[in-house]
Amino acid sequence: MEDLVLKLKEQIIEALNLEGVSPEDIDVKAPLFGDEGLGLDSIDALEIIVLLEKNYGIRLSNAAEGKAIFTSIEHIADYVKEHRTK
Amino acid sequence: MEAQMATVVAHNIISPLGFTSEMNYHAIKCGNSSLRLCEKAFGTSLSVTASVFDEEMREQLLVEGFTWFESLVIHSVRKAIADIGMDVSGKEVCFVLSTTKANVESLDTISDEQVLPGRTAEKIARYLGFVNEPLVVCNACISGVSALIAASRLIDAGFYRHVVVCGCDVLGKFIVSGFESLKALSPDECRPFDEERIGLNLGEAAATVVLSASKGKWHICRGAVCNDAYHISTPSPKGIGSGMALAKVLGNEKEELAFINLHGTATLYNDQMEWKALERSHLTDVPANALKGYFGHTMGAAGVMECIISMLSADDGVILGTRGFHASGVSGVINMSSHNRSSDKDAFVKLISGFGGCNAAVFFTGKAEEDNRVLHLPDYTTISKVILSSQEIWINENRLPMVERGKNLIVELYKRSMGDYPRFYKMDGLSRLGLVAAELLFQSVPDFDSYEQTAIVLFNHSSSLCADKKYLASISGENNFFPSPSAFVYTLPNIVNGEIALRHGMHSETSFYILPERDEKMMGQLVSSTLADENLSYCLTGWLEYMGDDDFVADIRLIKKVN
Repeated sequence: MEDLVLKLKEQIIEALNLEGVSPEDIDVKAPLFGDEGLGLDSIDALEIIVLLEKNYGIRLSNAAEGKAIFTSIEHIADYVKEHRTK
Repeated sequence: MEAQMATVVAHNIISPLGFTSEMNYHAIKCGNSSLRLCEKAFGTSLSVTASVFDEEMREQLLVEGFTWFESLVIHSVRKAIADIGMDVSGKEVCFVLSTTKANVESLDTISDEQVLPGRTAEKIARYLGFVNEPLVVCNACISGVSALIAASRLIDAGFYRHVVVCGCDVLGKFIVSGFESLKALSPDECRPFDEERIGLNLGEAAATVVLSASKGKWHICRGAVCNDAYHISTPSPKGIGSGMALAKVLGNEKEELAFINLHGTATLYNDQMEWKALERSHLTDVPANALKGYFGHTMGAAGVMECIISMLSADDGVILGTRGFHASGVSGVINMSSHNRSSDKDAFVKLISGFGGCNAAVFFTGKAEEDNRVLHLPDYTTISKVILSSQEIWINENRLPMVERGKNLIVELYKRSMGDYPRFYKMDGLSRLGLVAAELLFQSVPDFDSYEQTAIVLFNHSSSLCADKKYLASISGENNFFPSPSAFVYTLPNIVNGEIALRHGMHSETSFYILPERDEKMMGQLVSSTLADENLSYCLTGWLEYMGDDDFVADIRLIKKVN
């Protein structure tokens, strides 16, 4: 699980061009969107959907589905663990 | 040249609904739609509902030696100018192309230079006999309305007597996969403003309006472009920019309106935002409609096409129904119907919004005006300038000593001048360049704070070629088909205007124009006619070219109106 969390952090940093952010800066429980935490926006959410499909074979059909899962890194990791196909 | 008001003297629409404006209007009036389910469409595994030409129509329309995009433009323009027997070879005639992506669907099959919208427009213009250099308006989905406003100003200012505006976009793997990656597409026919709306349908079309300094019937009484300064792809939830544009074009003429023709893409956010804009302007009781259920979202053609259909329907005494609308799905009352209604008024407002936070509104009227409207062009003076190339940076007469070169030079300047704006790293090269150059420009003017009175009018030749290639790479193979939504958004060159507006909270006009070559005369005409707006005092303008990470230049200035 810890490996997966670290991997996800690295993939998110790369896909979203979070320059200057290192994996240890991201709190696994902190919110990803809005003014707190990483302050990601709607395009970032869509980019994470692509990342999950590309690396884990997970297909999310709409952004609303994504929003419910992408509350924190911990949540994403749980979801990936359960639904990954690759 | 004596100035006379710009009026509509001819028009044409070529869409899967028909090859003339009248055929399109009658099909729509009868409730027909060209939206179809296209399975495994455009060389992808995607199934989408869209408005596309069938094989027979394509064969009929393809012009030898031209791409599909160019062929559509040629047919539409040729039909419109033939209808009035217009000779376009005079110096007093200008050709304006409105498009979001022009030939981009041919990016992997034709040369880079041929993909550039300025070159495409030039090729079409030469073929059709225009002698002046053409202009391309590239303001995402508002391009059509934005082009009509620019054309109208150029005539009212006396620069040209006739301007032929053609809006066009075609569908292919590039655009369809991009909208799919943004999760903006509805699998079924779209339902504008309906409670069950889930997204838009794309459509291809070309639409042409010929504006002339004459005493024709329909003309743009007022037009406005305003920026949300909220987000580059999500519209302002409060309808800020759209509401501002509406307020600028409408005085106390609400009772004169037959209807307001909305953008109505049928995405959750767009329609709600437009309703908020109507509410802000106390216009929710005016009959409103949206036409995307008949022919989809035709992007660069949308503004031109929907204005033509609106003129024809007002002439016919009809307020067209909104196909796909059943029960209101916005947060308040809206005067909308799925059925056609009647009206005896001859004026309407067209509203439209696009990526980059841009919004436009035009107040069209068929009522003759007593006096000729003349655009008074202001004088202006340069108060500061910045030249940032891959090799060096000049702020007015000072060359800044820098360590880095190429794209790293922009990063170095970002760290020095801003440093606390992580959005910078998400941007493509063109937006990074524009954002940093604009930052240095504003910082070079002591105590500058008139952002609300400052327009942003930028020009280039290469459009967003680098971003286009980056996005294309994400959809290049069957096993490498992961369209990147953020890369797609930056394939619109006007996103740089949106980034600058967002950074500085600028709500005034933001426009991006593409030219075949740098042309100071045309640039000056567009800037001075934009600045004729009495609410504007300044304009950030200039040339912004990003050909590659080691080949770019921002040559921009801040100009001030002097009276």
